[in-house]
Amino acid sequence: MPPLKEDYMKKFFEKPKWNESLWFYIMISPWIVGFLSFTLGPMIYSIYLSLSKWDLFQPPQYIGLKNYIKLFTMDDIFWKALYNTFYYAIISVPLHLIIATGIAYMLNKKMKGMRIYRTAFYLPSLVPVVASSMLFVWIFAPDTGILNQFLAFFGIDGPAWLLDAAWVKFSLVIMSLWGVGGGIVLLLAGMRGVPDELYEASEIDGAGKRQQFFRITLPMLTPVLFFNLIMGIIGGLQTFAQVYIMTSGGPNNASLMVVPYLYDHAFNFYNMGYGSALAWALFAIIMILTLLVFRSSSMWVYYESEVKS
Amino acid sequence: MRADKVTLKEKTVLYIIMTGFGLLLFAPFVYMISISLATPATNAKMAFSLIPRDFHWQNYVKVFTDSDINLGRFLLNSVIISTFAILGQIFSSSLIAYGFARLRARGKKVLFMVVLSTMMIPAQVTMIPQFIIFRYLGWINTMLPLIVPNFFGGAFNIFLIRQFISRIPNTLDEAAKIDGLGYFGIYSRIILPLIKPIIATVAIFTFTWNWGWFMGPLIYLNDIEKMPLALGINILNSTSNVGATPDWNLVMVASMLLTIPMILLFFFGQKYMFEANITGANSSAK
Repeated sequence: MPPLKEDYMKKFFEKPKWNESLWFYIMISPWIVGFLSFTLGPMIYSIYLSLSKWDLFQPPQYIGLKNYIKLFTMDDIFWKALYNTFYYAIISVPLHLIIATGIAYMLNKKMKGMRIYRTAFYLPSLVPVVASSMLFVWIFAPDTGILNQFLAFFGIDGPAWLLDAAWVKFSLVIMSLWGVGGGIVLLLAGMRGVPDELYEASEIDGAGKRQQFFRITLPMLTPVLFFNLIMGIIGGLQTFAQVYIMTSGGPNNASLMVVPYLYDHAFNFYNMGYGSALAWALFAIIMILTLLVFRSSSMWVYYESEVKS
Repeated sequence: MRADKVTLKEKTVLYIIMTGFGLLLFAPFVYMISISLATPATNAKMAFSLIPRDFHWQNYVKVFTDSDINLGRFLLNSVIISTFAILGQIFSSSLIAYGFARLRARGKKVLFMVVLSTMMIPAQVTMIPQFIIFRYLGWINTMLPLIVPNFFGGAFNIFLIRQFISRIPNTLDEAAKIDGLGYFGIYSRIILPLIKPIIATVAIFTFTWNWGWFMGPLIYLNDIEKMPLALGINILNSTSNVGATPDWNLVMVASMLLTIPMILLFFFGQKYMFEANITGANSSAK
């Protein structure tokens, strides 16, 4: 017999029943178990590890803040790795945003064949980093690589790229730019979302294409740019595979970054304590940068639905 | 979208710029194919060219038949890891997401905030303790550390699926409840069939992530027979016959085989890929 409407309403609005609560906890139990054993537990353990010295074989030894003190005051290689990581992120992330915005702007025009161009620009971003690392070792090869052959065509004598301490970081930036298409998808969707009325109204007011781009398109895209910026910073600071495969941090540590350095300490030298301290330092750096970008967002990110006081 | 009037002159300029840029982005692919088709003689001289000069298709056979290389094994391992990762993520994340989307319980909001906040923790923080835990369990040099965590849900996947379920009207669940179906029954018979599109998205993303994953296998696997392709390529590159030139042509064949599934996936699944990209970004950026 179907229940009366009142019963149905009552059932809907009453407080959670213990039966329903129980089922909720049963259903999310995999997450709770996973969270405790793969996230929260390890994080607490990691704090303890970062305060100790442990090579996996001798019993761990509590040494207080020594790892952190060493890290921030004595470890020149860490500072170099940090500098390289920032250098890489600060150059590659804005370049990605600028180029991706430019391409998306062109792709947004009503012209034939845009689907093909869109696919062509997007495909390189699908190549797994291991494969692109193998490929770019050859592209950057000093004498036989195509990049220097290409430059020689214009009479430019290209550098030794990955083998030259002055160029190795920029080489990694160039390589990352091959995947610039990954950021285009969202930007293009963002551009399509800009209401036509804005352009029409501005046209009546006599705005040119350039003004429309800087006064309408770009401001309307800031939420997407903001998202790409945050993801780019987080991803850039965690760069690992390229460095590990292509340069091993060389030459002379010129391309060493924080995560490869952490990997070396933890899994080559088995300095579990020092490695954990490095991980927390990286965590703090990522958090601070993300917060700064979030804080700055009120100055430059425009949300249509936001009510400004 | 507005029909932008583009003059012929502008059109020409745009096509030239975009074609130039497209060629620039496409050239590395051609180079990859070209190196993968080089003969051993070309490889020994390291005289690769952008436009293929050799068409040594035997390279693509040799990587499977040569027992020193055994690319088939790497590929199989990649498939095993990716398949289990996908199965684990699909079932656990969808069940958890259903709980968060539909069931009412004390503490749910707080727990969901915790789910979201775990997305911000960089993997490096938990990497070392996880290694120690898996070492304690005796799982080092097995695929288990790469597979098992997937069965406990992934924060981003839970979030994506929860958003999707929230958009499905409640009426079906309510009707099923009245007909005597339990919560698990509603999940498996009503919700699961309805969320197929987002499940496909989660499957694609899980595949993409695990297929190209380098650091995890690097940390946990020592035996070459257990390595997935992404790690195997690096072994191929560094250890092929001591003293001799590495078989770059074969390394590039392996790179091609690592790349091709990604491109196929894009052509057949792009609808689902962009769906997540856009839902995910819209909701997490705000």
